[in-house]
Amino acid sequence: MTLRKDPEGIETAHLRDFAPLAGARVLEVGCGDGRLTWRYAAAARRVVGIDPDAEDLSIAFRECPAQLRSTVILARAQAEALPFPRETFDVAVLAWSL
Amino acid sequence: MVHALEEIRRVLVPGGVLLDLRPLSVNSPVEVVAGERVMQAGRLDEPPGDPDDTAANEAMAHVERAGWFTPERKGAFELAYEWDTPDEMKAYIDERWATGKLPESVWVEARRLTATAGAGAKARVLRRMVIARWRKRQT
Repeated sequence: MTLRKDPEGIETAHLRDFAPLAGARVLEVGCGDGRLTWRYAAAARRVVGIDPDAEDLSIAFRECPAQLRSTVILARAQAEALPFPRETFDVAVLAWSL
Repeated sequence: MVHALEEIRRVLVPGGVLLDLRPLSVNSPVEVVAGERVMQAGRLDEPPGDPDDTAANEAMAHVERAGWFTPERKGAFELAYEWDTPDEMKAYIDERWATGKLPESVWVEARRLTATAGAGAKARVLRRMVIARWRKRQT
């Protein structure tokens, strides 16, 4: 199946416009297969993407672009129990997950 | 949902930004696109007022009342889902679209429009998205 989500990058443009991503430590809650993550991560200092779905995360691990592997960390976690110390992130993105 | 927001508040620095990006259920339009031409096939059966939308709005209202976050900016836009054929669109929506259904009549119309538009025509759904920026209070 050939599905193209947001082929014109409208979502990404809004994300960049709304969030101060440059140099930020970003937590993305509900990163799924990383579709959105790859589109903004290069601007951030660090992106931690979490998702409870192991299948989606395995796709994200597989498809993470080589140039982002030092910036993006992916982990299986629930938003209700974040495995991070307090005050770790500058920006939290709730990506289709609220 | 509120507990997740409380956790996010905990891991954000004071003054940190919470970005809420999510789709809304609003009977999304179904179109066939051929070059510059956009033809309407109908709408998804996707009634407004989905319980998930309501719950998310109530959760954000709660965190505002609790003083955890302050709203700064809101916006909306259309997110395109595009397929090479109406049949691929139907298969995807039947399998993965949790909040809406593709009516048979709309699918049939999309197929008709695609056939008349010729090679290169695409089927698409425009999904209404909302985006909001909230800031964690300093104290």
